[in-house]
Amino acid sequence: MLTRRLLLASAAASALPLRFALATSAPSDAYLYIISPNNGAKVKSPFWCRFGLRNMGVTHAGDAYPNAGHHHLLIDVKEPLDPNEPIPQDKNHLHFGAGQTEARVDLPPGKHTLQLVLGDANHVPFTPMVMSKKITITVLPH
Amino acid sequence: MPGEVRRFNEGKSENRPPEGLARRLAAIIAADIVGYSRLMGMDEEGTHARVTRYRRELIDPTIAEHHGRVVKNTGDGFIAVFDSPVEAVRCSIVIQQSVTGRSASLPAQQQILYRIGVNLGDVIVEPDDVYGDGVNVAARLERMAEPGSVYISGGVYEQIKNKLVCGYKALGDKRVKNITDPVTVYRVLADPSAVKAARQVRGLVAALAIVLVLAVGTGIGAFWLFNRSEMERQGGETARAPVAPPPSASAPPSAAPAAPGTAAAPTPVVAPAPAGAPSLLSEPEMVMLPGGSFAMGSNEDATEKPIHRVSIRPFAIGKYPVTVREWKVCVAANACAAAVLGAGAEDDRPITNVSWADADQYAKWLALTTRKPYRLPSEAEWEYAARGNTESKFWWGATLSLGKANCKGCGDPYDPAQPLKVGQFAPNPFGLYDMGGNVAQWVEDCYHRDFAGAPSDGSAWLAGDCFTHVLKGGSWRNDPSYVRPASRDQYDTAVRYPTHGFRVARSE
Repeated sequence: MLTRRLLLASAAASALPLRFALATSAPSDAYLYIISPNNGAKVKSPFWCRFGLRNMGVTHAGDAYPNAGHHHLLIDVKEPLDPNEPIPQDKNHLHFGAGQTEARVDLPPGKHTLQLVLGDANHVPFTPMVMSKKITITVLPH
Repeated sequence: MPGEVRRFNEGKSENRPPEGLARRLAAIIAADIVGYSRLMGMDEEGTHARVTRYRRELIDPTIAEHHGRVVKNTGDGFIAVFDSPVEAVRCSIVIQQSVTGRSASLPAQQQILYRIGVNLGDVIVEPDDVYGDGVNVAARLERMAEPGSVYISGGVYEQIKNKLVCGYKALGDKRVKNITDPVTVYRVLADPSAVKAARQVRGLVAALAIVLVLAVGTGIGAFWLFNRSEMERQGGETARAPVAPPPSASAPPSAAPAAPGTAAAPTPVVAPAPAGAPSLLSEPEMVMLPGGSFAMGSNEDATEKPIHRVSIRPFAIGKYPVTVREWKVCVAANACAAAVLGAGAEDDRPITNVSWADADQYAKWLALTTRKPYRLPSEAEWEYAARGNTESKFWWGATLSLGKANCKGCGDPYDPAQPLKVGQFAPNPFGLYDMGGNVAQWVEDCYHRDFAGAPSDGSAWLAGDCFTHVLKGGSWRNDPSYVRPASRDQYDTAVRYPTHGFRVARSE
């Protein structure tokens, strides 16, 4: 009994092949949005990007509490996310698995898009996907 | 791809604006000594010496062990932050038990006892302080707490109630000065009397655990003996040999966990192998590298500038990333997390889903059990090893060649779902496998936005708040630009991600 519980616990956060990652459900009224900057804003880099989330909570990556996840900021990402795979980790997909609710972002001058996606304990998008509107900002030359 | 995208939490730098660090969720411990001024009034020097000793010997190591960080020292206490509320409360209990135990022999009026409050909140963490309502609540909880006890907020309780096996006593909602909403307060029952009451139950659990240990231990022992005799029969042939047959001296015994089930059980089994039998430990196979100097960095990305000369002393580095097999030995020794192992994790695949803290823990355990100076490589050592005396964009030349590494766009073999077994591609000129692609690899260094001010002696760059560490080489899910030896990325120190692994280094 003890062993079984531990096995279950370890399976939740384990490194299974990615295709086996199971989706976690999110409340239908969950609302993810970028508080700042505003869509169309002209900003100087680096700038603060602040994350807003309603009807769900922010927790650490690895913690499987119901109705809670952690933020991911997509920068200039054009390809759609695979809803069944962990959100990629690279310079265009920033992870905030320690429960950060804002980030300092440094981008070269020019137009960029920003979009937030909430990930579950295993960095997989929720079902339905909790995703902000994609905004476009202009970073001013230095 | 943007030239430079980063979070701004990697420590001080010249260009950094004056604003503080990013807000984040943290578990905060506030602790102070009961009747500190009375104790100081009675015996200033003695009290000070004792408190200092407690801090050095009991408290600071306990906080470090639980991946916490002291952010502020007050005269009679401290404030520490943790990523995990479970770790924060566990740490508090250990502190209370060890301090109470140590004080028990002293006369009552000389006893040093702490009060501890733990809260979970959104805070602003700076290198030497922490701000926010979350901290104030932790401090109020601390002041409410009975001497020797731990009080936690409702937020902490909700996160740990099913994870930490100890008693919780609800004390109801309390008004907290300057905080609008009342705070639900729980007392963690870890003081001596509660422990005594719980002992009977614990005894039962312990008895069960012993039975389990014996059962598992017997199984492992038999398995180990079997494998050993098998190995001896085969004249020291190894079970691993992904590509090149490694020398028998470092033969991985594949001894430890017979099944994932036993690996996951938290039984304190399999003590480190006795000294004198080091070859039976699953030590990763190492390659000795000559010292030298090289041009580190590149002009491909802002984070890789400026190119600078670095000298490297001779050192050894893992021929492959640390494998699932090697990780399991550490799990069996109760020194590494079983949680990162998947049910079907195959032995010859690199271990993944490890945080920097996990990787660091493995290297420390390996050093301890082998009594050899194992550690994580520095970023400079990693890049030096990956370049293998080449200065080109990739170690094999200036352009991408298919079939040289495991990345998205690097050609075949490729499996989008998981990393390939280690050693599936040709080694680099130093004879090292998977130096780029397959799994992204943690190094010792804290992340800095570029190389301005980086050390030139090959050592790890540890200045800054170290909230994120450096990842090298990219993973199978990254594009070919990440396979370049100069490519670098960052990730939160304590967070696990399924494409992150590591290899070890050893000083010579």
